[in-house]
Amino acid sequence: MITPLKIYVGLTSILLLIACQSGPEPIAYGSDNCHHCKMTISDNRYGSELVTQKGKVYKFDSIECMAQYLDENEAGASAKTLLATDYKNPGQFIEVSKAIFLQSEQMPSPMGMFLTAFSDQETASQFAAEKSGNLLTWEATQKLCASHGNAH
Amino acid sequence: MEMLTNTYSNCILQKQALASGVRASVAFLLLFLLTSISQVSVAQSLLVGKTGTIQSVKKAIQLAQPHDTIYISQGTYLESDIIINKPLTLIGRHNPVIDGQFTGEIITIQADSVVVEGLVLQNVKVSAIKDYAAIRISRSKHCILRNNQIRNAFFGIYLEKADSCQVQNNRIHSQSTMESTSGNAIHVWYCNTMLIEDNQVSGHRDGIYFEFVSNSRIINNISTKNLRYGLHFMFSDNNVYRSNRFINNGAGVAVMYSKHITMVENTFQNNWGASAYGILLKDITDSRIEKNTFLQNTVGIHAEGTNRTIIQHNEFRQNGWALRMMGSCEELRFERNNFIANTFEVASSNNYTSNNTFNGNYWSSYTGYDLDRDGTGDVPHKPVKLFSYLIEDVPTAMVLIRSLFIDLLELAERVAPVLTPATIQDDGPSMRLNHW
Repeated sequence: MITPLKIYVGLTSILLLIACQSGPEPIAYGSDNCHHCKMTISDNRYGSELVTQKGKVYKFDSIECMAQYLDENEAGASAKTLLATDYKNPGQFIEVSKAIFLQSEQMPSPMGMFLTAFSDQETASQFAAEKSGNLLTWEATQKLCASHGNAH
Repeated sequence: MEMLTNTYSNCILQKQALASGVRASVAFLLLFLLTSISQVSVAQSLLVGKTGTIQSVKKAIQLAQPHDTIYISQGTYLESDIIINKPLTLIGRHNPVIDGQFTGEIITIQADSVVVEGLVLQNVKVSAIKDYAAIRISRSKHCILRNNQIRNAFFGIYLEKADSCQVQNNRIHSQSTMESTSGNAIHVWYCNTMLIEDNQVSGHRDGIYFEFVSNSRIINNISTKNLRYGLHFMFSDNNVYRSNRFINNGAGVAVMYSKHITMVENTFQNNWGASAYGILLKDITDSRIEKNTFLQNTVGIHAEGTNRTIIQHNEFRQNGWALRMMGSCEELRFERNNFIANTFEVASSNNYTSNNTFNGNYWSSYTGYDLDRDGTGDVPHKPVKLFSYLIEDVPTAMVLIRSLFIDLLELAERVAPVLTPATIQDDGPSMRLNHW
């Protein structure tokens, strides 16, 4: 027998479960602020995101801000998911471990480190050749940002 | 007699010799002048008009010699990707319109000493791949952009790797609604010794944007209704911005990762919102903030990682927070400012003991007295309220702001301070408004 109470309890529990789901959240460009530099996140080709083990979401306006935040706050240990945006698909996240990063003087990024992420090797190589840049893994990108951050 | 004729003929001879000498030198001078003139070549002027022989700006540039002047008469010219690759002066007469029809960039300057004046430039393509601008100066020196109007541009004026250029008295207006599809009105990147003066900018992402720019001045501009910041500095040292007005922007000015910035006599007004500030300071050292007016902003000055900076003679009036200091602010000196009718005067994220000093400021909420009539309050003023301390941890407690309970807490805290930081206090608060 399905009573209104049961429906109510069922619905509430579903809602609660949904509310508890932790995962990447889309960045609201133009209103969300970068967790590291406090700037309004406005360029949808560069937004990055960190989701912690506990499901806390930190948003960043650029790859370099996320990398520097990880470096300065030792949040790397509690990070479950690290996401960057695929340059060719603005607003689309990709896992940093699967991304290819490009550093090119001809492609300025929001925080002055000329970093762009791509989801596939082919596009990345094409851009690297065209814009005479270097391709990097996430680890190399992190090292680069850490040394850059300390220089400031 | 013979002698006479002799002398006479001598005279004649001398005269002739003299005359021929004069003639020779005159001829020589003329020759010299002519040759030198032919070497200099007189700068010509060309006229572009809807009815004349030259009907497009591109054609005129193609025909022009270096240092020529091109006058553009009234009318609408449908042109884009105009490249100026020699020193020229372009002057619009009676506001001629160059319409880019959203195809690309309108004018790209790739030469030194180019002047562009009196044009109306409109309709620049918005792109996710290229930063198209109404006017771009690329790797050039001593260029002047003056008295132009720019409408519906993606980027208005874009200066990259330029040196000693002037951007004066331009009107750059757009109606952007999305930050990701709008560029900056005046975008300055990797430049040195720039002057940005008397411009009016609105409706872009940032009104004026400086990245890797040094030794430059931003004077007397009006930046309003921009989606993100009225003015934005990144990695730009040794710059001055003076007498500008930043009104109704997402936030007034963001100064980040820069040294030796002088901020004087500016007005920051009506920057309201969850993350809106008059000034956002992040990682700033050795700077001066003087004689500015902060009127009706959510936060007057929000400082993070700001060091060795003097903040004096400013007026903070009717802001949510006059000052917020978040973490690692060292050696800030707040002197002789006026804090008038702010909801919160100072908020600080943590109860750290830093060496920031407050002295001689006027605080409208000061409840002390001045028994010795020396113009300075006899008891220190503590600008950090207990309540502002609470809402740093529990922002939603804001609903209690005018409640009796909070008033009682404040009273108790004033009588016996326990929670509020002892380090943040003005030992010599002024009893009267400071004047400067």
